[in-house]
Amino acid sequence: MEEYAMHEKRIKILIAKPGLDGHDRGAKVVSHALKEAGMEVIYSGLHKTIDQIVNIALQEDVDIIGLSIMTGAHIPIVEKLMKKMRDEDIIDKTVFVGGVIPAKDISKLKGLGVAGVFPGGTPLSEMIEFIKTHMKKA
Amino acid sequence: MDLAKKVLQGDEKSAARLISMIEDGGDEGHREISLLFSHTGKAHIIGVTGTPGAGKSTLISKLAVNFADKGKKVGIIAVDPTSPKDNGALLGDRLRMRDVEETKGVFIRSMASRGYPGGIAKASAGAVYVLEALGKEIIMVETVGAGQTEMQIYSLCNTIITILAPDYGDEIQLMKAGLLEIGDIVAINKADNVRAEDISAEIAVYIGKNKSKGWETPVLTVQAKEGGGIEKLVEAVNEHFVYLNKNTCGKDIKKEKLKTFMFALLKEELWNRALNTWAGNKRFDSIVKKLQKGEIDPYAAVRKALEINGL
Amino acid sequence: MAVARYIKDEKDRILDVILESGIHVKPLYTPEDLSRTGFDYEKDVADPGQYPYTRGIHPLGYRSRAWTTRQYTGFGSPQETNERFKLMIAHGQTGLNVAFDLPTQMGYDSDDPMSEGEVGRVGMAVDTLRDFEIAFKDIKLDKIGAGLTINAVASIMLAMYQAAGEKYGYDARVISATPQNDILKEMVGRGAWIFPVEPAVKLIGDTIEYAMTVMPRTNPVSVCGYHIRESGATPAQEIAFAILIANVYIDNVLARGFDVDDFVGRFSFNLNVFGNMWEQVAKFRAARKLWARNLKEKYNVKNPQNLFLRGLFGGGGYGLTKAQPENNIMRGAYYALVAALSGAQTTALCSYDEAYTIPTPHSALLSLRTLQLLMDEMGLRDTVDPLAGSYFIETITKEMEQKIEEEMEMIEKYGGMIKAVSRGYIQRLVARQAYEVEKGLESGELLKVGVNIYKEGVSEDVELHEYNNESAEKQIEDLKQVKKQRSQRDVLRTLKKLESATKEGKNIMPYLVECCKAYATVGEMTNIFRQEFGEFQEPALF
Repeated sequence: MEEYAMHEKRIKILIAKPGLDGHDRGAKVVSHALKEAGMEVIYSGLHKTIDQIVNIALQEDVDIIGLSIMTGAHIPIVEKLMKKMRDEDIIDKTVFVGGVIPAKDISKLKGLGVAGVFPGGTPLSEMIEFIKTHMKKA
Repeated sequence: MDLAKKVLQGDEKSAARLISMIEDGGDEGHREISLLFSHTGKAHIIGVTGTPGAGKSTLISKLAVNFADKGKKVGIIAVDPTSPKDNGALLGDRLRMRDVEETKGVFIRSMASRGYPGGIAKASAGAVYVLEALGKEIIMVETVGAGQTEMQIYSLCNTIITILAPDYGDEIQLMKAGLLEIGDIVAINKADNVRAEDISAEIAVYIGKNKSKGWETPVLTVQAKEGGGIEKLVEAVNEHFVYLNKNTCGKDIKKEKLKTFMFALLKEELWNRALNTWAGNKRFDSIVKKLQKGEIDPYAAVRKALEINGL
Repeated sequence: MAVARYIKDEKDRILDVILESGIHVKPLYTPEDLSRTGFDYEKDVADPGQYPYTRGIHPLGYRSRAWTTRQYTGFGSPQETNERFKLMIAHGQTGLNVAFDLPTQMGYDSDDPMSEGEVGRVGMAVDTLRDFEIAFKDIKLDKIGAGLTINAVASIMLAMYQAAGEKYGYDARVISATPQNDILKEMVGRGAWIFPVEPAVKLIGDTIEYAMTVMPRTNPVSVCGYHIRESGATPAQEIAFAILIANVYIDNVLARGFDVDDFVGRFSFNLNVFGNMWEQVAKFRAARKLWARNLKEKYNVKNPQNLFLRGLFGGGGYGLTKAQPENNIMRGAYYALVAALSGAQTTALCSYDEAYTIPTPHSALLSLRTLQLLMDEMGLRDTVDPLAGSYFIETITKEMEQKIEEEMEMIEKYGGMIKAVSRGYIQRLVARQAYEVEKGLESGELLKVGVNIYKEGVSEDVELHEYNNESAEKQIEDLKQVKKQRSQRDVLRTLKKLESATKEGKNIMPYLVECCKAYATVGEMTNIFRQEFGEFQEPALF
């Protein structure tokens, strides 16, 4: 009966590559993993501006925006994202950040409103568990 | 909630939210849709089908940009398959429609084909109505369209474009799946001139047998990536719309399609309601156990199960 | 990351070893293995400096010259970069490898809104010739070569390098630059592309043609298997795709009517060094052989000197971990050993903190010392290709050859490299493989020290290189000044000529040099190309 039963509310997530960074191995691996964990995943492709990312999140009514940032520019990027999300009135959406994130920046990011930070090396299973638990509470 | 009101005022965020509510099932979404329904029925709903790799997404984005440039407001619904294995989905069509991302007035929504308590036909219908209420005059629906359910989505569409790319030996596959038959316009993509001519002829013969009165299915050649043949395709699309609204046969087709679509929704709804009765039903579970132990045959099992619903 | 699959029994005895490229490793190799594979010294291996160059391209290897060390360097302002250059040179580094920031790599000026937060972050910010003048001040450009890690706008950077050299009195004929200039790998694994495939390849052809005649000491293309490997390709695929990509560029220049012997000798490669030790050594040996054979048999290259696979074997970023970062120091040492055993002409390492950020002077120096130790203390200069003749190494070198050829065939069957990259075939393949590796790490099937085994131990905080915001602001301010001081008329005139040349399909290099001399900005020049060529459409992931 599994496949036909009433489903848990599906989780829809946008995995986005903001800015000029071209390293997408992690973003692609995470996209596959989240899909296999039963989520609906939209991958934004490279070189997206904050405006474009917010536009996609809005039209697709995603539950989560996941940013993948490898260049170290996570703080200015997240600040910009939060501002745009407020402007477009979608600040209630969850934001996760993954990539090259030094430990000392994690609390800063959380202070900006990021719900989960996944620095490189975070096991996929941990990420998936965190997302599912977080969305249940939401 | 007021979502319907906001949608009618052109609020994209509310439109997106409402589409999600319909996807999730539940009554609230339906209530809001009912408020919108009277504002729908005039938009041109264009379905684009074809085998994977034929260039559907590219074609849709070129068409969308063409319409938008002419001042039309456009909505796009892209359906991607849910994996039966893990119930997840990679919604990749948006990535293929880059041109459109930059264009004003275009709303793109990706949907996974399964996993909706309502069923995909229901969800996509809802999405179409919402987008029209939002102000979109042209709504394009893209799906791979080989399965039964996906086929039913097409009865929601006024005009169906079937696109094929000769590289892939598409013609045979499409004929098998019945996708050539439902095409009101056939577009041959990525073909050199000679190949394109051959296939045009072959297809014309094939669909000649399936002509509906008053409309002759044009077979056009396009180079979706480079934008070749798009103007002609747009012309054909517009002509078909006129046919549907002015010609008696066209109007009859519209009526027939509505009925077909209703049946598709009915099917989905019936199945869902039945599932709800059987889920956790001890009598049902014991029927299944008996079948698995070999005590009854599948036909008897079905008869017994339907008795639970009084059928 | 994890370098091979080990099938073990309950007693931790290894039953089978499967290398990434698919080769199975036996417990024991004997002379029988050599006869079984039909090993023939002259045909398969030959002396170093003899076709097919399996053992190396020079008969004396490191006996005649130690390897060139080229640590990737560059950040912040041209001034800071110039200081770091001088530091590394003083400590014995023999070549420069310039890193550029993302805005420069993507053709945006420092004051462009797209550049916000990125100016000088992952490399040096370059807007005009003035920046190159500062960066290369007091550097003996006739003695020290500069690798320029730049691709989409490599033509612009090369032109700018020539202009800077001339400013300091160095003629174009004596300076040596190695722009990376490999756009196809960007589309597969590094993401710093701008223009669509065909015009991008045309620009590469222009630089190769220009280098032939005007800058003969320049190596105009460094074909990068490196990033494709970092993205998830197997070692065999790394070489297969690199050779096929090189062939695309060769074909472009041949179509212009040139003789392959006139330019192919200056091609170089950038190949990765992480992974199973033996697989890597076999890979590099097989790569030299297959490249030489590719050139001889497919392109009929006559001059044996042009058959050499010259390259930087190094890096290995994907092999390093964030956990227990000091382990990366040891990893770096082992990777360096692999490079030396493989006969690398040039090498470089990722610094141990590179999983976090740009290297600090301390970590960059550690990397350099690692390399110097091998050459000068451990005996890696003593003899050429020391592992030759090993029953094991010669057998798997032959097997690796086969694997590489199989991978090449797969692409040919698909329709060639250009089609495979434009349609996203390779991108999807390596993404899929990357995912399988990740799953393997999570399940423990693939082992990684500090990550899924031997996790006890402190992951100490490392002292990190800080991003200098003020430096970015200064760069923008300096750009403003340059724009004020330059002759607007000259800029417009040279840009207009560049535009016409681009439209007419001419070789754009001389026009770029003129634009650079007039202090046109990187953004201004790139925009001409953007306007004429459009932008690359990334193919779908799924």
